[in-house]
Amino acid sequence: MTFDALVFYILAAICVAAAAGVVVARNPVHSGLFLVITFFHVAAMFVMLGAEFLAAVQIIVYAGAILVLILFVIMLVDPDNMPELHGARPIQRSLGAILALILLLEVGLAIVNRGFYGPGGNATLGNIALVGGNTQALGYVLFNQYTLPFEAVSLVLLVGVVGAIVLALPERLGEQIRLRKGTISLGHPRGTEEALPTGPAGESPIFTPEDRVETEAVGGTRELILVGDGDQYTTVGGGDRRR
Amino acid sequence: MGALGTVTTNHFLFLSAALFIIGMVGVLVRRNFLIVFMCVELMMNAVNLSLVAFSRESNTLYGQGFAMFTIAVAAAEAAVGLAIILAMSRRIASVDVDEFSALRD
Repeated sequence: MTFDALVFYILAAICVAAAAGVVVARNPVHSGLFLVITFFHVAAMFVMLGAEFLAAVQIIVYAGAILVLILFVIMLVDPDNMPELHGARPIQRSLGAILALILLLEVGLAIVNRGFYGPGGNATLGNIALVGGNTQALGYVLFNQYTLPFEAVSLVLLVGVVGAIVLALPERLGEQIRLRKGTISLGHPRGTEEALPTGPAGESPIFTPEDRVETEAVGGTRELILVGDGDQYTTVGGGDRRR
Repeated sequence: MGALGTVTTNHFLFLSAALFIIGMVGVLVRRNFLIVFMCVELMMNAVNLSLVAFSRESNTLYGQGFAMFTIAVAAAEAAVGLAIILAMSRRIASVDVDEFSALRD
């Protein structure tokens, strides 16, 4: 067994194990960390295949950008909203296992019995080294033959970013800002002794002027700030605290 | 099919198939939308690996160029998909894919 093969088998084993970890991990954060392991190993596979630039892009975009985005969203989503794992989906699990075995067999047969057709290109390792390396060669291909698709991808990214912002905005942002004027502003909602009324599910509790609760100065230990608008406010209680 | 001692394209194709199928099982089995999303990314990575392996085998760079486009589109897809997850968690207070049934009912 050559050294190449040894490296490949080790990397492939870790890669598949980490991919399985993504699926079976109970904690979504653990899934994300397993996913980054898989991404790094796929990048190593790209290096083994002579695609160094793609390996760098893989690490920067997948491990750097997409995974951080996923982790941020995991932290933004309330843990109570996450469904339980192993929550009794026996039909789906057995069906998934059967389908996976069948598909693996099928694809394996296809890979073993495949043939290579076509003349093949001239991008051998020697020729790639002649133009300066993988990055330069890929640049020639992208900007000579795929210039228009390359620019179209920039448009796709722009539309994607705009769509993401539109989707992620709170649904009634303007209304919330309007209602927030003339409400009680506290340093933190938990700063009062009284329980604050909770809003509809998934929304922050926001007072409307009708059901607004005027709390008395609470105990004198905590400070309460009543805000009329941005310019005028009064403080109640909390006299002995240093400001 | 080469011997076991040397790394051939088929090795990478088998690895790619394994990753893809693991991702597919995750999409089918898991209920957490975030995990399903990660499994979709895993499947995209597997396809990228196949593209680059074929690119190496055929001595062309088109497969690598195609993988570049795939990664770029995957980035846009990640942004939109995660925004959808946020919007759904805010609207129905859950990221369970079984709860996302407004279009089915």
